Amino acid sequence: MQYQAAPTTESWITPTTPYYYNYNYMPLPHNKHYSIVVNNDPLEKVAKLVSQSAVVIFSLSSCCMCHAVKSLFSGMGVNPTVYELDEEPVRGKEIEKALVRLMGSSMSVPVVFIGGKLVGSMDRVMGSHINGTLVPLLKKAGALWL
Amino acid sequence: MASHRVGETGLSDSRPLHHHHHHHQHMPYSVFTDYNPPSTGFINQESSSFDFGELEEAIALQGYKIPNEENKLPLYSTVPRPAATLDMFPSWPMRVQQTPRVSNSSTDSGSAVNVAIASKPEAHSLVEPESPISSNSRETFSQQPQQQQIFRQQLQHLQIPEKLEMESEGGSPVTTGGSSHSQQAPKPFSEKTLRRLAQNREAARKSRLRKKAYLQQLESSRIRLTQLEQDLQRARSQGLFMVGGNGAGNLSSSAAMFDMEYSRWLEDDQRHMVELRKGLQSHLQDGDLRVIVDSVVAHYDELFRLKSVAAKSDVFHLFTGMWTTPAERCFLWMGGFRPSELIKMLAIQLDPLTEQQVVGIYSLQQLSQQAEEALTQGLDQLHQSLVDTIASGSVNDGFHHMTVALGKLTNLEVFVHQADNLRQQTLHQLHRILTVRQAATCFLVISEYFGRLRALSTFWASRPREAMMSDENLCQTTTDLQMVQSSQIHFSNYG
Repeated sequence: MQYQAAPTTESWITPTTPYYYNYNYMPLPHNKHYSIVVNNDPLEKVAKLVSQSAVVIFSLSSCCMCHAVKSLFSGMGVNPTVYELDEEPVRGKEIEKALVRLMGSSMSVPVVFIGGKLVGSMDRVMGSHINGTLVPLLKKAGALWL
Repeated sequence: MASHRVGETGLSDSRPLHHHHHHHQHMPYSVFTDYNPPSTGFINQESSSFDFGELEEAIALQGYKIPNEENKLPLYSTVPRPAATLDMFPSWPMRVQQTPRVSNSSTDSGSAVNVAIASKPEAHSLVEPESPISSNSRETFSQQPQQQQIFRQQLQHLQIPEKLEMESEGGSPVTTGGSSHSQQAPKPFSEKTLRRLAQNREAARKSRLRKKAYLQQLESSRIRLTQLEQDLQRARSQGLFMVGGNGAGNLSSSAAMFDMEYSRWLEDDQRHMVELRKGLQSHLQDGDLRVIVDSVVAHYDELFRLKSVAAKSDVFHLFTGMWTTPAERCFLWMGGFRPSELIKMLAIQLDPLTEQQVVGIYSLQQLSQQAEEALTQGLDQLHQSLVDTIASGSVNDGFHHMTVALGKLTNLEVFVHQADNLRQQTLHQLHRILTVRQAATCFLVISEYFGRLRALSTFWASRPREAMMSDENLCQTTTDLQMVQSSQIHFSNYG
């Protein structure tokens, strides 16, 4: 598998400007330095994480559909950043619950973000793949080169 | 011939009694053999089972016994036994009543074996017909004047030929059939009673036949039941998980329901195809044709919705393809057709395509293949995980492992759902790439293709078994399969 594991030790920084919970229009991260504060809102954590990589997949190591999504991206030659929520010691459970609320379905994973924007779970990924919108999106995010 | 024989032995009153007796002893026997060969089997069956019709008659006749008691003089016994009337004589053939009436020339009780119908108005005692079967039964029979009455009725209703009746009289004018005799003789029964008795006989006969048919049905059901149980055993031993305690049959109730809905969907699909064909051939306007094509796409969406509902209750039924035909099951991928295979077939059949469309179709094929590969790998991981769970269960925590395995099995539904989603997206994309007319042709080709696969299953099921042993026939079948997929199929009549 050609995806990189998420860095487990990282500083939790939060910008002081308010975030909108509509992640389709999430702003890109700023270059300013912020004070290191533990963020209580998991969705904000998610927002932060997805802004750091071109392709972000939230997954569970035991979930087979997550394995399918990972295979799909690596089969296309993409190198996604995968966060295994069951291996995330501190915030994994919370992020999982937040994702369930976000997606409105009982399956928290897999959830795919490309270029910081939410694509969706396997349904939407497949749909956008077949109708040909996934590859251009990947290219725009810089995850795929011709 | 029998009547002739009867005539031969028909005796006038002047014959000595013993001679009469002697002849009568033989005659019914010969007549018996004449009349009865076709029905001996029937007789045996009848005599072996309880004959309700006869019983009814006997009961009815018993009611009439009393007024005529003084007229009947039993031959070989002293006291008639009323209860014994209801005895059914197993060895006594019922159809001995078919022996024709012979001359009841003597009115005295001394005259022996004679099934006679009194032609004279006065009452005559009926004497028993001679029977070679058993003297015992003969004796008991002789005690039963009621039985003689029964025989009289039988003879009447069997419409003994006139000649017999004439002979039986020995000269007395007998012109009409049995009915006149019944009027002349002091019958204790009315016409209505006779009719009812005959109907009862018929009913008894019918009920016997029904019973036979029912027994045969029971036997075949029993055989089918044992076969079903064997199938069930085999399926259970192979570890198929019976959903929701519906293990009573091979098919769970939701599976049966889905099968029914699927067959209805197929019928609707045929109707859509007829509409499409008509639209194409009549060169319908694009707008109108688009409406039909959209309805076809919506119809496929309906199928995938039905499948997702069924997957929630019985995923194995969908996943193993038991709702499809065997030939379709050959190409089964995650509970249905493989989208890239379908596109490959279509790319050949939908030949007049613009370059852009060709590019679109081939890229769709490639994308679909990637998606299929991803799903297959995900399913492989599920397999591996299941194997690990099931194999590693020790005796102590066997249940725990089973519950874990059960939890993992629920993922199967997710995979079937995603595979169906892939199929649905592929069909929608085809609809987008192609023009209206091309899309109409495309859906016709798809429907025709699956129809041929289903037909292949039917032909395969009904093929002659011996012929399949030879190599040459084996080659033939593979060629047939190739023909289905090759470009030699011409769908051009739709174009």
